[in-house]
Amino acid sequence: MISLFERYDASSDRFFDEVLTAEGNPRGHYDKMVHRFGQFSLDDIRTRRQIVNIFFRNQGITFTVYGKDEGIERIFPFDLIPRIIPSHEWANIERGLIQRIVALNAFLSDIYSSQKILKDRIVPAELVLGSKHFKREFVGVRPPLGVYIHVTGSDIIRDRDGRYLVLEDNLRTPSGVSYMLQNRQALKRAFPVLFDRYKVRPIDNYPQELLRTLQEISPSSRPEPNVVVLTPGIYNSAYFEHSFLARQMGVELTEGRDLVVNNNKVYTRTTRGLQRVDVIYRRVDDDFLDPLVFRADSKLGVAGLINAYRKGNVALANAIGTGVADDKVIYSFVPKIIRYYLGEEPILDNVETWLASNPKEMKYILENLDTLVVKAANESGGYGMLVGPESTQEERERFAEKIVANPRNYIAQPTISLSRHPSFFNDAELGGCHIDLRPYVLYGNSPTIVPGGLTRVALKRGSLVVNSSQGGGSKDTWVIDE
Amino acid sequence: MLSRVAESLFWMSRYVERAENTARFLEVNFNLLLDLNDITAIDHPNYWSPLIRVTGDPLNFTDRYPEYNAHTVTDYLVFDRQNSNSIISSIGMARENARSIIDSISSEMWEQINNLYHFLQSVSPQQVHNDPFSFYREIKNASHLFQGITDNIFSRTEGWEFIQIGKYLERADNTARLIDVKYHMLMPKVGQEREHDPVHDSFDTIQWMAVLKSCSALEAFRKVYLSKIDPDNILWFLVLDRTFPRSIAFSICAAQEALWRISGSSRHRYANNADRLIGKMEAELIYTTVEDMYRKGLHRFLEEIEQGLNRIGEQVHLLYFAYHTPKIEPNDVSEALPFTGIAGGRANWSQSQQQQQ
Repeated sequence: MISLFERYDASSDRFFDEVLTAEGNPRGHYDKMVHRFGQFSLDDIRTRRQIVNIFFRNQGITFTVYGKDEGIERIFPFDLIPRIIPSHEWANIERGLIQRIVALNAFLSDIYSSQKILKDRIVPAELVLGSKHFKREFVGVRPPLGVYIHVTGSDIIRDRDGRYLVLEDNLRTPSGVSYMLQNRQALKRAFPVLFDRYKVRPIDNYPQELLRTLQEISPSSRPEPNVVVLTPGIYNSAYFEHSFLARQMGVELTEGRDLVVNNNKVYTRTTRGLQRVDVIYRRVDDDFLDPLVFRADSKLGVAGLINAYRKGNVALANAIGTGVADDKVIYSFVPKIIRYYLGEEPILDNVETWLASNPKEMKYILENLDTLVVKAANESGGYGMLVGPESTQEERERFAEKIVANPRNYIAQPTISLSRHPSFFNDAELGGCHIDLRPYVLYGNSPTIVPGGLTRVALKRGSLVVNSSQGGGSKDTWVIDE
Repeated sequence: MLSRVAESLFWMSRYVERAENTARFLEVNFNLLLDLNDITAIDHPNYWSPLIRVTGDPLNFTDRYPEYNAHTVTDYLVFDRQNSNSIISSIGMARENARSIIDSISSEMWEQINNLYHFLQSVSPQQVHNDPFSFYREIKNASHLFQGITDNIFSRTEGWEFIQIGKYLERADNTARLIDVKYHMLMPKVGQEREHDPVHDSFDTIQWMAVLKSCSALEAFRKVYLSKIDPDNILWFLVLDRTFPRSIAFSICAAQEALWRISGSSRHRYANNADRLIGKMEAELIYTTVEDMYRKGLHRFLEEIEQGLNRIGEQVHLLYFAYHTPKIEPNDVSEALPFTGIAGGRANWSQSQQQQQ
């Protein structure tokens, strides 16, 4: 153990440390990395940090924080030490995620057609049909290739024993993939020497893979289908990502007002007249897509889009109404869903989950609020949750009232001590920070995963929340061939 | 390219040019007044009201300011956000437009507009009153820097042509207005237009020189006319000269060429109304003499140019920005303008903050 790592406290008795074993030695796949970092002084680290900061600033990689006036743009914090996943672990994650996504897609396909799984009482019908993300209007509408969830990003964590667990499925418009790509670029600039001892699997082909997936779902037979990205606009916190992906794929970045529907066909308004659109990679939520069908006050959408979609004249990625399957209540049924449709045992486990809608489980939740994490079923981005051990008595009481008032809307999970990874605090010392992993699954003709994902890291000391909106940062994520 | 992007490029460019020209208007006025050798005249309303008449809306001004003087007019034209043509409003609009297409322009262009915007936020009216020339030079330089950056790194795509059209339509319009200011100052009594009698005394020559200076045209002019500062020559130079880049004829030619490159039109063959109108205007200018301008009345001549430019702008909007399908074409043209071109039509701020997964 050399220099930088000397004073690092892994607290292996309480947490699973990604880099060090319980005995304090580097795990096999981290050995060369620890040695490399051992050769750097703090001055080296600061120099590299500057290279990274300039890179991010020049790329305009910022996100917006809400709640404060006007929304402030910040650089997304990036930690210099990459997270490494050995290939055998990755193979398991990959198989597990693909199994999960295929099953969830079968589930969506079923509940938007014959609803067999509800009739067989595997999943309670009221949980599905009563979900605010269930779009009744789309029962019987079959999307191209029968695929609903073209781009997904499931959040995976590791518990105290290092077991990979799925924490949540994001089946609507998961964000963050641009950080995955940019983190790799940034780290290559700052630490080219880190890469020479490892066979890191490349991820740079993600935009091409995404474009291929989007072209595959085109309803038209034209050889070069016209794909566009639909963004809510410059005030959206993920606007950078939308424009980044559009540029990388070489397609137009459009806002709702750039699109017009005529005779149930979608067009972009260009200086050369109207141009037909075949596929829309939309980063606008269902409710804002079409003021004629959903929220009438939406200015982000396109009037008539939904009818064009129902007519099969345009494909949407992801399809409409997919949120019903990433609902945190439905989440607890995913193992059953996998068994039901695929006849297989789940490869990746769920985190144990209690449903407030079940009276017995509600009692347990209310009695154990101080140790559980309670989440609202339909929220995302770390909003609307209660972290039991970090909460005050008053917060718990307020939450208990909410749970009793609307049990369907709440679930609880044990407070999992997420695995930790050494990260830099203020470039001065190494500390163990909690991390998770979000790989991105693309699903056109068949599901594929670019090897890696976004590792989010809770850079606030002791914090468990890794969401960028809550002060989290990220790391480059390596899948290596040994 | 997307109509929205083209339109934002057009207005971004236009607003930067407008801010620069407003600075030039004010600068020429200070220049003129300093030549009067009468310090009390500096606040005389007759020297300031023409500026408001040619740049904006006198009613909007008189509603909110008690009188025309150096302070009020400067405040109105530089700092007043209620005046949509003030320098601060123009740069704000340029910035909004640039921001909405930030991925289509280079980061250097964005930074330059953003810097200028923040510079304006940091300047107090008192600083401008104390040292107007430095301030106006700063604005002009910032605009030149922006245009220089754009020249050097923006790809010569269709977007480039829209930047050119915006810049040169605005410039032609502003040069016409600038000459008009001078005209108003020579004719302080409104309504009594002395059509055929340009005043030829030496004091006026000095004033015309100031007009040249404010167009950065004095040296270019001297190369053509040596030392003959004659109003007829100056008028010819600022309106009809084909080589000086701030003259009206030059600007109209440049805008015309950009329009041609977009539509594929050429001389004698126009593809649309914008091309037709600008071609007509250019042809008229080719065969116009200074005599003709006087015969028509300088003010009327310039006014017609301004109106013609407006019509061309309208056509560019209808052709390239406000595209609509014939079936859903509204009767009222104003309804067919979904973007105001300025910063309007923007997505609702609160809605665009939908939660991220």
